[in-house]
Amino acid sequence: MRFSILSRFLLFAGICANGLEADSSDFATLLEERLSTVVAVEFAIEHELDRTVNYTHALVIDNNGTAIIEASAISDRATPDQLVEFKVYRPGQPTTQFSSAEYLGQDGYTTWHFIRIEPAGRIGLRPITDFLAEDASALPRIAEPIWGIGLRQKDEDFAPYFLRSHLSMIQRLPQLTGIALNEVASRACPVFNDRGEFIGVGASGFGQRMMIYSQRRRGEMSVLINPDEAAGFRLAGEVLSALGRVPDNPFGRPLPWFGIDGIDPVDPDVAQFLGLGSGAGLVISEILKGSPAEDAGLLPRDIIIALDGMPLPRLKPDEVVSAHLMREVLKREPGVTLSLTILRDRTELEIPIELGNAPKTPKESSRRYFEDLGVTVRETVFSDVVARREDPSDLNGVIVHFVKPSSPVGTAGVRMDDWIKEIDGTAVGDYDQALSLLEAAEASGRPELVMLVSRGGETAVMRAKLSPGS
Amino acid sequence: MTWLAATLIGLFLLQSRTVAEPTEGFRQLLDAVVRIDVREYAYEAGSKRFQSGVGSGVIVSDDGLILTNAHVVGLRAVEINVTLSNLERVGAELVGWDHWTDLALLRLDAEEVARKGFEFTVAEFGDTKDLYPGETVYAVGTPHGLTRTVTRGIISNPRRFFADSRGVKGYETGQFNTWLQTDAAINPGNSGGPLVTSAGRIVGINSRGYTGADNLGFAIPSDTAQRVMHGLAADGRITRSYIGIVPGALRDLEDFYDLELNTGMLINSVDPGSPAAQAGLRGGDILLAIDGEPVDGRFPEQLPPIKHRIAIQPVGSELSLTVKRNGETKDYVVETEELVSRVGEESVVEVWGLSIREVSRTYARENQFPDEEGVLVIGVQRGFPARVAGLSTGDVITKINDQPVSTIEDVMAAAEAYAANPEKVLVEARRQFRVSLYVLKP
Repeated sequence: MRFSILSRFLLFAGICANGLEADSSDFATLLEERLSTVVAVEFAIEHELDRTVNYTHALVIDNNGTAIIEASAISDRATPDQLVEFKVYRPGQPTTQFSSAEYLGQDGYTTWHFIRIEPAGRIGLRPITDFLAEDASALPRIAEPIWGIGLRQKDEDFAPYFLRSHLSMIQRLPQLTGIALNEVASRACPVFNDRGEFIGVGASGFGQRMMIYSQRRRGEMSVLINPDEAAGFRLAGEVLSALGRVPDNPFGRPLPWFGIDGIDPVDPDVAQFLGLGSGAGLVISEILKGSPAEDAGLLPRDIIIALDGMPLPRLKPDEVVSAHLMREVLKREPGVTLSLTILRDRTELEIPIELGNAPKTPKESSRRYFEDLGVTVRETVFSDVVARREDPSDLNGVIVHFVKPSSPVGTAGVRMDDWIKEIDGTAVGDYDQALSLLEAAEASGRPELVMLVSRGGETAVMRAKLSPGS
Repeated sequence: MTWLAATLIGLFLLQSRTVAEPTEGFRQLLDAVVRIDVREYAYEAGSKRFQSGVGSGVIVSDDGLILTNAHVVGLRAVEINVTLSNLERVGAELVGWDHWTDLALLRLDAEEVARKGFEFTVAEFGDTKDLYPGETVYAVGTPHGLTRTVTRGIISNPRRFFADSRGVKGYETGQFNTWLQTDAAINPGNSGGPLVTSAGRIVGINSRGYTGADNLGFAIPSDTAQRVMHGLAADGRITRSYIGIVPGALRDLEDFYDLELNTGMLINSVDPGSPAAQAGLRGGDILLAIDGEPVDGRFPEQLPPIKHRIAIQPVGSELSLTVKRNGETKDYVVETEELVSRVGEESVVEVWGLSIREVSRTYARENQFPDEEGVLVIGVQRGFPARVAGLSTGDVITKINDQPVSTIEDVMAAAEAYAANPEKVLVEARRQFRVSLYVLKP
């Protein structure tokens, strides 16, 4: 009798477990089907002297072979021209089989990079939108069981594997981000609920604080980040917002801009002191010269408290509020007017700003490598001059993008990010002039190239000894 | 046996020739070298604490003036104790200091010396100009606290260029003088002691050594030391003129600039807003003459004397600089201003656990600040209001309760008001160029 009570209890427990979770054979099917939404991507970055090969994953978003890659997978310093040989591999297939893809660009607002897979490589791929829940905007529930796809490395044919967890919390960072109890997907690989509905995509950079104890060191706090798998994932809505934003140019233009530099969130004590109650505020550090913010009459030390009449949301940690405002700007188009409510000398003011077109970025600047000199120079752009604390209405000189070690220019002491103001005694007005001066120096047969170089606000004359015959 | 004795005598004679004859002058010098124990304030941690150090010095006048290094005894010194060669201890006070040459001048407590009937010996200076590389010299001092240690070496180089923008406790040094380089062992604690000839004449004040290198020691030449000593004895400080040019050695660039050999000095950089910048000078210019007198700055060791020539002009005087630019030569008139250190006046606000330093003109220019407003945070103490609010070293406090601050007094006044009536205080500060707000809470 006692035995039968116990067995009945166990049976009951078994039923409960079955009711909560899908059958393991179902998961195998779900995984198999949904593998068609993800690919492994290999690409090279071409540098002056060598090229580096990089690997990442991409999520397919439509039937035209468009796939998205997370922002941090591609170095910020690499220009679109340097990104070459995109290859797409299917999970678990021999790596001798691959398709090529084209780099489309990066979207400023969502920060996704976009690629397009060649038609032959699209066969058998399915967009992630095929697996949306009926109500795609509904947030997953806390404690809900979730699962995701992991991909191994190239030497294991990018073999897919199954990851399983529960949703622990949802944060606005400012992207809506789910955090699972443990790693739930590889970076840029999809996460699903038990019904197989798409709920998010594995994000990088969710660090966990851990104490390390060893025989030599006692309890040292470290942040551990798993580079292969993510416990944090962007919720489905963040992927869906990318659908309509496939860039038609590699730089994701048009890029809206208001020209405010350094927006620092006020902490809760300061907010309370300023009478903001529980609201958020952002202190403006600088208004850039010639920017829409300057035209609108904004001043350094103004405190932004609302955007288009909506108080800034209280997001945590405080820095997320700054990121939120930048995203709100990037979501809009140049030419759109937005209204900022600011606090100036404790008085509220409403200031409309018409967003402008962002000035050329360093990535967009023209550049050329001079092999005999051992230097790559690039066009000086607005942000270069702002960063060097000078007047950005004067974009003179060229910026050093690369210096070859032990080359004539390298031996002279020139370093990356130096600002070349004069070449052989001639002031460099612009990029084209710099090119002709450097070409002339290379061809002259003279024993030296003399440059006036600015670094950290100080200048120095640097002399490159040219080898005979160069 | 006789043969052996003869050999021994021969060896002895040979050896005695290489050992310095302890001359009367050398004995006198040994009696003039002192050990210096200093207790000074340390402000950096957001609180006022004491720290102590040991160095060396040499008595240079009958009234008890002692030359030592600026990095041994500085403006923060609270208690200075001098140990004479007869091992008696006497108090001393700081007469003046000059970090640019790393020299400080102390005076023995005359009343104490008289009361206790102490006697001391005065050292004599030798001539730096006569020194030659290879000449034997001796360093006397207190390395690692080992009082009255004599080490021997040679002059390795009599004119070494060795400037350091933070060499003396964060202050600049070595721009207006060259240094004597010696292989006589110079260790920590030797600082401030004399470098002398075998006749016991001071040719330098030992100051620095390369850490991690063997026998690379440096001393301030005695001609510089004497000049600074007279200046400090008279005014307690040395006032110098500044025009804001950063020189570079011309070296192999004479052809490029089409210059005659041994003519001109390269101006590498001009400080923004400085007199030279206002006069229109720029980096890449060649300075040919100052007030008509030619300048030769081909090698690094020639640069300090040129800077010295500018520095000794009275503040506010007009200099005519002959400058070559793009093949044209033109005169520029520059009005000098007073040279200031990058390190401003310092203090500590104990109630907030906050160490502060005034932003000097030089520091502001060095960091490309728009102006000299604000005070720099140089330390915060754990658990105190400044640190709790989030302030940290390197921040520049620009406003307290909406009132602009630029001096130590401004901050002190606000801190006193807070101490009398502890209420929340709003602080505006800049980190690099980013403006943030902080609330200091009781």
